[in-house]
Amino acid sequence: MDMITVKDLKKSYDAQVALNGISFSIKEGEFYGLLGPNGAGKTTTISIISTIVEADEGTVTINGMDLNKNKIECKKIIGVVPQEIALYDKLSAYDNLLFWGSLYNVEKKLLAQRIEDTLHLLGLHDRRNDIIKTYSGGMKRRINIASALLHTPKILFMDEPTVGIDPQSRHLIFEVIEKLHKQGMTIVYTTHYMEEAERFCDRIGIIDKGEIISQGTLSELRDFSKMKESIVIRFAELNAEAEEKLKQNIVGEFTISDSSLVYYSGDIKSDLPKLIIKCGELGFVPTQIEIQKVNLETIFLKLTGKQLRD
Amino acid sequence: MLKIAIKDLRLFISDRRALLMTFFMPIALISIFAMAFGGEHERNSRPVPLLVADLDKSTSTKDLITQLDSLKSLEVTVMPLDSAERLVKTGEQSAVLVFHKGFKDSMDAGGNIPIELEFDQSKAAEIGILQQALMSNLMRMIGSKMIMKKQMEKVDKQFGAVDPSILKNIHDEIEKSFAENGAQGGGNDNGVAMKLSPLIEEKQGNPGLIQAVAGTAVMMLLFGLVAMGAGMLEEKENGTLKKLLYAPINPSHILFGKMIASILVALLQLTVLFVYASFMFKLDLMLNLPALIVMMLTTSYACAGFGMFLASVAKSRQQVQMLSSLIVLTMSAIGGSMIPTFIMPEFMQKISMISINYWSIQGFYDIYWRSLPFTDPAFLMRPLVLVIIGTVMMSISLVFFRKNVLKLA
Repeated sequence: MDMITVKDLKKSYDAQVALNGISFSIKEGEFYGLLGPNGAGKTTTISIISTIVEADEGTVTINGMDLNKNKIECKKIIGVVPQEIALYDKLSAYDNLLFWGSLYNVEKKLLAQRIEDTLHLLGLHDRRNDIIKTYSGGMKRRINIASALLHTPKILFMDEPTVGIDPQSRHLIFEVIEKLHKQGMTIVYTTHYMEEAERFCDRIGIIDKGEIISQGTLSELRDFSKMKESIVIRFAELNAEAEEKLKQNIVGEFTISDSSLVYYSGDIKSDLPKLIIKCGELGFVPTQIEIQKVNLETIFLKLTGKQLRD
Repeated sequence: MLKIAIKDLRLFISDRRALLMTFFMPIALISIFAMAFGGEHERNSRPVPLLVADLDKSTSTKDLITQLDSLKSLEVTVMPLDSAERLVKTGEQSAVLVFHKGFKDSMDAGGNIPIELEFDQSKAAEIGILQQALMSNLMRMIGSKMIMKKQMEKVDKQFGAVDPSILKNIHDEIEKSFAENGAQGGGNDNGVAMKLSPLIEEKQGNPGLIQAVAGTAVMMLLFGLVAMGAGMLEEKENGTLKKLLYAPINPSHILFGKMIASILVALLQLTVLFVYASFMFKLDLMLNLPALIVMMLTTSYACAGFGMFLASVAKSRQQVQMLSSLIVLTMSAIGGSMIPTFIMPEFMQKISMISINYWSIQGFYDIYWRSLPFTDPAFLMRPLVLVIIGTVMMSISLVFFRKNVLKLA
């Protein structure tokens, strides 16, 4: 059963098109990664599905309910972990959680129990009465996640939940995410960390310039990109003129950035010698040559022409 | 060193708030204070309003009222005593001059003249000017008339046997002479005394205490509640407002929730300030408790509405700070928190009515100075206006809240 169905979603801010008719669906219990460079339309998509922004056109169905007609009902089954740490600094972790949980009308005793459990789960039970101001960035992130879980939502939106945190917090957050996924929660996840997307996501949607340019499992994306491996050739320095020279003389799919040429190969045995010979002919001396297995990072780079952090 | 100084000056010039507080605000306050205190001069040069109640309705009182009305320094309005007293009690007028029954008889008999000036002691400045005008004109007129009568009586006694037509001529001459002296400003009050009666009992010491407590409380309330309202913008900046919008609540409930919190804080603040005044300065909280509670509630409501309004209109906390300094200080200056409105010239008193401070302070004056009962329409008008102000502010806030604060994407 589809938990989220998005059809022909369009949104513009003045003359700026943020979403240009995107469509996708997410199944119940699925872990869906929404990836795209900055300004691609990820946040707008999540903002619309999580009800705080209205679309210009298109429909969103949440658990069988039309979002526009059942906003409050939809909100009740959605949990959002925003990118920014949205907590009250002067309140304790416990009081923060009590407040955020109370907004979803969770019964008082049950809420208290869930707060205790969540704090244990996130390793912050012993600090529950300390004010948030005294927490480290990673601890705040953990409470930020906890505050979205107290009403046990069916759908959880996580917008880069691990940005700028310490390894211990990251590890704890990963454990929680995996546990929630196992429990059958539908999770929509945006991240700049490819390893996170590869580790957790059942399916991935790649969004760029307000459109979904590709979506599927990692294997489906790999097939779609027709990539098997990539050859990364690094040079000491590549100026604009040199880059232009390479672009004009190398045949095939490749990108050039940071003095490196990344060649997306379908047949590494044939492509690698050809590339080395061509570079020599053009007068470029590689400083390093690396063969990379196709991963999400390279697929993303090929599909969008940008690094994920661009 | 010079480079640092230049850099600081450039930063200062680019800081609109600093410029506003350094130049505009002092200029605005100086203008308001100058107009308020400058009113003294203006007041002396324009007619002072005076209510007159004529209970004697004799030729003498009518004649005196006509003479008073002809004076440039007074603007006389004749009306029944109870209506006039009511206007003074509600603070709309400063004083009523009462010609009591038997005025003419007493004047003819040369006895104690039953004339009384009932006044609102809180308007000391206006009363002073009025007394001065009455002493130099009215009492001289009465005094002259009494002397004239006495002189005529003397003439009658001395020349009783003279032909009545000659006696009449003498009377006419005396009358003419007094009329001429009177018109030239001569003569004196000849010991005629006017009874001075404060119409409002001095139950709470002096109006200065009420002025200090109510005026300061309302001004600080406005500052405090604007800061609370600005918390909404802080929430927008740190992301908690956005997170609130994810929750299954109506967005307008966020604003209403903040409004309730502001009202409760305002009530607490007012209670603390009045209890303090009660302990330190013996302000009687029980004098008219229902009215006091109503005034506290409506003042809190209006001030909270104002705080929400400012926070919704502004786009950043810096803008709120700038606007609050500007508007709250101006409103407090014209509304009577800094200078009592009754010492201001009339046009400024009218302007002051646009401020929350005015309606709130006048309400507390009604309770503690004018001793108006809770059901008095003049008193009820104050909380009613405050409720209207609060509601209008809140309605505007709701519109701007949706337009400015909710624009999160």
